[in-house]
Amino acid sequence: MVLFQAQGIQKRFGARVVLENISLSIEAGTVHGIMGPNGAGKTTCFHVLTGHHAPDAGRIVFDGQDITGLKPHIIARLGISRSFQLMNLFDDAVVIENVMLALPAFRKMGSSPFRATFGDSRLTKAALAVLDQVGLADRAWHKSKDLSYGERRALEIAVALAAEPRILFLDEPTAGLGAKGTQALAQLIRQLRRQYTICLIEHDMRFLFELADRISVIHWGQVIAEGTPAALQANKWVARSALGAVA
Amino acid sequence: MITLSDIPARGGTPFTLPMGLFAAVLATAPFWLQWVGLYQYLGVEIAIWILFAMGFNLLFGYTGLHSFGHGAYLGIGAYGFGLFQKSVEVSLWGGLLAAILAATVAGAIVGAFLSHRRGIYYALLTIGFGQVFWFTAMKLHWLTGGEDGLLNIPRPDLVIGSWRISLNDNTAFYWFVAVITAVAVLLMWRVVNAPVGRILQAIRQNETRARFVGYDVWRWKWLAFTVSAAFAGLAGGLFAMAQQSAYPDVMSLHQSGVIVMMVLVGGGLVSFWGPVLGVVLYFIARDVLGGLTEAWLLWYGLIFVIMVMVRPEGLAGLLHTTAQRTAPPAAVPATKPEAV
Amino acid sequence: MTSLVPHLVNGLTLGLLFALIALGFTLIVGVMEVINLAHGSLFTLGAYLALSTIGAGWFAGTPFGIWWLELPMASRYFIGLALGPVLAGIAGMLLELCLRPTYGKAPLYGLLLTFGAAIVVEEAIRLIWGTGERNMPVPQMISGAFLMGGLIFSTYKFYAAGFAIVAILMVWLFLERTPYGAIIKAGAHDSEMVRALGYDLARLRLIVFGFGSALAGIAGMVMAPIWGLRPHLGIDVVIPAFLIIVIGGVGSFWGAVAAAILVGMATGITGAYAPAWSLMSMYILLIAIVGFRARGLLGRRSALEN
Repeated sequence: MVLFQAQGIQKRFGARVVLENISLSIEAGTVHGIMGPNGAGKTTCFHVLTGHHAPDAGRIVFDGQDITGLKPHIIARLGISRSFQLMNLFDDAVVIENVMLALPAFRKMGSSPFRATFGDSRLTKAALAVLDQVGLADRAWHKSKDLSYGERRALEIAVALAAEPRILFLDEPTAGLGAKGTQALAQLIRQLRRQYTICLIEHDMRFLFELADRISVIHWGQVIAEGTPAALQANKWVARSALGAVA
Repeated sequence: MITLSDIPARGGTPFTLPMGLFAAVLATAPFWLQWVGLYQYLGVEIAIWILFAMGFNLLFGYTGLHSFGHGAYLGIGAYGFGLFQKSVEVSLWGGLLAAILAATVAGAIVGAFLSHRRGIYYALLTIGFGQVFWFTAMKLHWLTGGEDGLLNIPRPDLVIGSWRISLNDNTAFYWFVAVITAVAVLLMWRVVNAPVGRILQAIRQNETRARFVGYDVWRWKWLAFTVSAAFAGLAGGLFAMAQQSAYPDVMSLHQSGVIVMMVLVGGGLVSFWGPVLGVVLYFIARDVLGGLTEAWLLWYGLIFVIMVMVRPEGLAGLLHTTAQRTAPPAAVPATKPEAV
Repeated sequence: MTSLVPHLVNGLTLGLLFALIALGFTLIVGVMEVINLAHGSLFTLGAYLALSTIGAGWFAGTPFGIWWLELPMASRYFIGLALGPVLAGIAGMLLELCLRPTYGKAPLYGLLLTFGAAIVVEEAIRLIWGTGERNMPVPQMISGAFLMGGLIFSTYKFYAAGFAIVAILMVWLFLERTPYGAIIKAGAHDSEMVRALGYDLARLRLIVFGFGSALAGIAGMVMAPIWGLRPHLGIDVVIPAFLIIVIGGVGSFWGAVAAAILVGMATGITGAYAPAWSLMSMYILLIAIVGFRARGLLGRRSALEN
């Protein structure tokens, strides 16, 4: 079934049209890739799909519900979670707190001003479980700014996971990772796809072609091609838009 | 370096060494203030300003929202108290409630304009609002007495059951203020160690991420501002009782700047107790240094500038660094530092 | 209706002088991405320093001082016009040196530092020159009033407006036609690029701070006979400056000039109807504009918006 759908999304910044006519449709349980050259509008697309910007035209539907124009925190609570290309972590806090803050159970505790935070073992356990999924459980009490780049990338995803989403939007999760890091990440995504629907922006085409079930190619603010990796490899427009060949 | 985001070793329990010291100093002040060459009224001022500074730091240090116009809410609280005594009835709790209410309403309205922003726009807006309030207080002669201020504000007696205690004596008044301040500090301690405190800090560290994991950031920012205004209002009401008058000058940019300087120099950016240290240091500078030279504020301002340049962690940070130098370094923990 | 004309002229004069203040301010913000809350204090300092230059200042009673006071008022005035701003510019450069430890840290620290500096400068002014209002003496030739079209105009305001126009044009010429001006302009747009091109960014920042502060200082001196001279003028200068660059856009030359004239006129017109509130009108305008969306008419996104 179609879990997430965008229809005819348009986004303008002043006179500049960044997204002209974006439509995509993501089936539950699949990994959907988004690729395209720099400046094509991929990240803006993510921003619109996750509520950071409201689209000037078009509709976004999540599990049958129209979420167009809703505020980001409402969208997050509905089960849509995202990670960021330029990492957005809580840098003064320890790793486990980064994750705890995203737990819906923690968020709901916010309204009672006098609870003790780290004494609650249910929350600590839940947070550690998420960290375990990305392999950071043994770094739980370190400050997030003391982590290595690869570990911070993993934390970036862990925070998105902690919010208990149904669909996960990952914006260039391999950025800056070396070969080993990329492999570890691919492994993680294979693991995560059993539980979550994933939408992935990526530059690394080999990575994307290996993991994605379907890919949308965005260029000049439009979806110029869409299909399975195999179909796209044969598509001449994809080759023409200078995306290069997959080695 | 310590930060406000450090996890307290003993959870949110109020039974810590600094809290004990604070309570002890507060409780014994009348007995030794004059012995060290100071005077009782100073104790009153310091306690009131600690109340103001603690509430202010919830916004400034914890939430990372920099208000340079907070004196306005202290002033509104003072006028609220005074006007209640003069126009409604002479009542201690009525007056203080009026003070808190007036400041909270003002804070809520201003907060609604501010909470979409952060950073420099936020700061300049707070200055703008502060100036508007100050100007209004100066001009609305019929309400506030203008530049001459609201005078002859009574200090109502404290009535508990059948006991009636006069607060006219500065020592008695000091005890009253000290108890209120102590309760407020305790409350603040619980709040910053609860999820609320961590959420506000998350917003300071990364508003965007906080939003994307489901927090209504606008509402939290608004709440932080309004609560800090409420604290300021209470402090203002007590201040009106203390000086038995209310003037516009606390609402000026100058005075609003002083609270910022106090909190930073004390170490409010890195420690819960920073504001307390900052307030004490300021009043010592004012009275002790001020006794030696007319230029004391110039020196204090220079100290502030130098601290921003080299030690923005303030006094609390310096104390912590010194304590660390004398203790052996701890290894990085693999599990939670101490058992709760 | 004719009674509005003097106020409009007042507003225009005020606006042109605001433009000088705002230009210095926007150059500093553009190159450094620091909101210089001390800009207003340097404005005030420039005026006071010029005041002391015209009088004998610290040389009173000395042979030099006596000789100095015997010079014609006009000469002393114009020397003050040159010296006051130069000294303000030097103070500005000192401020930049103090700001260096805060680069690379959160913008909060730069803001706090310039705020502290503003308080320090204002306290220093208060201690040296006293809290009371002072009068800026003006040479005979540019004081008094003249008649035009049946209305009386103040000669000094006319001169002030003319001076401001000349100064604005000179700043424009400097930025557009000289190589150093080009570097400053480039730096205001992209300081990283300027460094990559091999220019000494540290020296550039120092000079921009000095230049911007000197502009503030000269505006201070020229405005003193109109606005009066008190130690705590500073904030009434910084807020309009900020408002102007928000309306006109950060880093935009003509945007700042246009917005300055707009703000000046608004102040002048409210001065006609509710004189007590004319200063407040700027704060209310700030709240109205920044309290809602604001990126300015001619400007681009800057690091101010985080």
